[in-house]
Amino acid sequence: MSESTSMTTTPSISMQLTPGQLCLTLRGVLDLRTTPDVLDQLAQVQKPLPKLIRADLSEVTRMDDCGALVILQLRRMAEKHDCELELTQIPGHVRDLLAFLRVDDPPRSAGIKRARPNIMTRFGVKTIQVWDQAVSHVSFVGEVTVTLLTLLRHPGRLRLGDTILYMQRVGVDALPIVGLISFLLGLIMAFMSAVQLQQFGANIYVASLVALAMVRELGPIMTAILVAGRSGSAFAAEIGTMKVSEEVDALVTMGFRPAMFLVAPKIIASVLVVPLLAMYSNLFAIAGGLLIGVTTLDLTVNAYMAQTMSTLTIFDINWGLFKSAIFAVLIATVGCFKGYQVRGGAASVGQATTSAVVTGIFLVILVDSILAVILRYWRP
Amino acid sequence: MSKETVISVRGLTMGFGELVIMEALDFDIRRGEIFVILGGSGCGKSTLLKHLVGLYKPMAGKITIAGMPLEPDNEDSFKQILARIGVMYQGGALFSSMTLGENVALPITEYSKLKGPAVEELVSLKLRQVGLEGFEHHLPEELSGGMKKRAAIARALALNPEILFLDEPSAGLDPISSAELDALILRLNRTLGTTFVVVTHELSSIFTIAKRVIMLDKESKSIIADGDPHELKNASKHPFVHQFFNRQPEMEK
Repeated sequence: MSESTSMTTTPSISMQLTPGQLCLTLRGVLDLRTTPDVLDQLAQVQKPLPKLIRADLSEVTRMDDCGALVILQLRRMAEKHDCELELTQIPGHVRDLLAFLRVDDPPRSAGIKRARPNIMTRFGVKTIQVWDQAVSHVSFVGEVTVTLLTLLRHPGRLRLGDTILYMQRVGVDALPIVGLISFLLGLIMAFMSAVQLQQFGANIYVASLVALAMVRELGPIMTAILVAGRSGSAFAAEIGTMKVSEEVDALVTMGFRPAMFLVAPKIIASVLVVPLLAMYSNLFAIAGGLLIGVTTLDLTVNAYMAQTMSTLTIFDINWGLFKSAIFAVLIATVGCFKGYQVRGGAASVGQATTSAVVTGIFLVILVDSILAVILRYWRP
Repeated sequence: MSKETVISVRGLTMGFGELVIMEALDFDIRRGEIFVILGGSGCGKSTLLKHLVGLYKPMAGKITIAGMPLEPDNEDSFKQILARIGVMYQGGALFSSMTLGENVALPITEYSKLKGPAVEELVSLKLRQVGLEGFEHHLPEELSGGMKKRAAIARALALNPEILFLDEPSAGLDPISSAELDALILRLNRTLGTTFVVVTHELSSIFTIAKRVIMLDKESKSIIADGDPHELKNASKHPFVHQFFNRQPEMEK
């Protein structure tokens, strides 16, 4: 230890400029700790350089590949300023090292960063990517459709254990958060609308507002957003990681269809439990509204519930359930699809997860808008 | 070569929860040694390696590296130890979001004063040593398994650590690359005095590089052999050791 500390205090390089030549003496240990200083000193040598650079290496006690950078730097200096480089008294171990590193053949680094292609190339690459993605999206949807149709004919092929497990993960495990958020949502809605409705003495319509808004729109949407965040992301991460570790390939070569093995249980489980979650969400939101109605609007529980019952029709409830089922298919399919798109490693899994949630929520809102328009013009 | 002890293990018991994998291991690794940990599959070689680098906490016992007790909770001493070791993991563990060059450059830019072009040059030299020059801007996913392995060694070498831990370095390499890797290990050991702790199964590689081996045994949860592999091959009385070095299958009794 003491040896290496004393080495760092004595300079590893000394230079002498005599007319016609630059004499360098390198000494001691040339490693990662000492080399940066030596390189700095070399960079500060006064230009122009004399015709001959003579470097004496006899006092170098230890040199590693980092120390070899000094030699490379000297070479470059000599080449650039058109002078001659003479390495003298090279000790055996240094000669060995330089031979091993093939220093005579200077490293031709293309840079450690990936060169950024020009804008036209990037535009082209992106276009091809978008097209490829569209193609793979269509074929994925096709594969999933075929798988689900196969399941209609042979329901026994569904992996029941997995399906139940995902029903638990998507549904049961989400109950607390869905309940809490819906309850607070109902509470806030009642609270905010009460301020307005009270001015007209229309307190009782708070019940109608909360019930209708939740059952028709917000219940399914809130549930879908929560499921996209909780489970869509989980599907993407799970399948993506399986893809990275070649587990999906293993399934294929073992004769399983990944769509049947991985995707079908997730979609079916989601379709079964998400509508139930939406119902549960409605229930809690109405409870939230009820709390405000009873505590601040002088309504009785009976009056509030009677108003709620008379507002809602069975069509509203079915419509909400139907939308939830559609949302569930969208979220689960997008989650699985994004998982399938993973190439490479950890970063790609992260991207897929983000994309699964964002695309899932986007599709949910888009489809909800389309359904709203359809309902407006075509109501049974 | 000095005989100073760089890693000393005393009474190391390791395991997870209730499961004990190895009990009361005692051994020393001396400076400049190429030390190989052997054993059948699943006997805890990689687990032992992870204990030696402080990733796992021992159930009992003490590990000392370069005179400092290995205590992952003590940030100062752990940092000092980490500065002196390099680890290559079984699967490579290259960062998938970075190019090969960036993977190797990461510790260099972080822990040394080298700048810009010098870093790139050093990265090229490192990759040249493992035969991967010219692959600087490739992403790990674009490499084969063996190339990833060699790149991982280049990254472990980045700071020329005093002690290098290699987990199955030659598994999955073709015989030529594997022999080149052995030559690299021997050269680093000879010229820089790097101490190597290697987990491997490759017999040819063991006989080429190992100065000393220990063999772990799953049944007795202890070290059943310790010494020069050439001597152990011929002299060991232990049936498992004999089988291992002579590549004989488990016989029916």
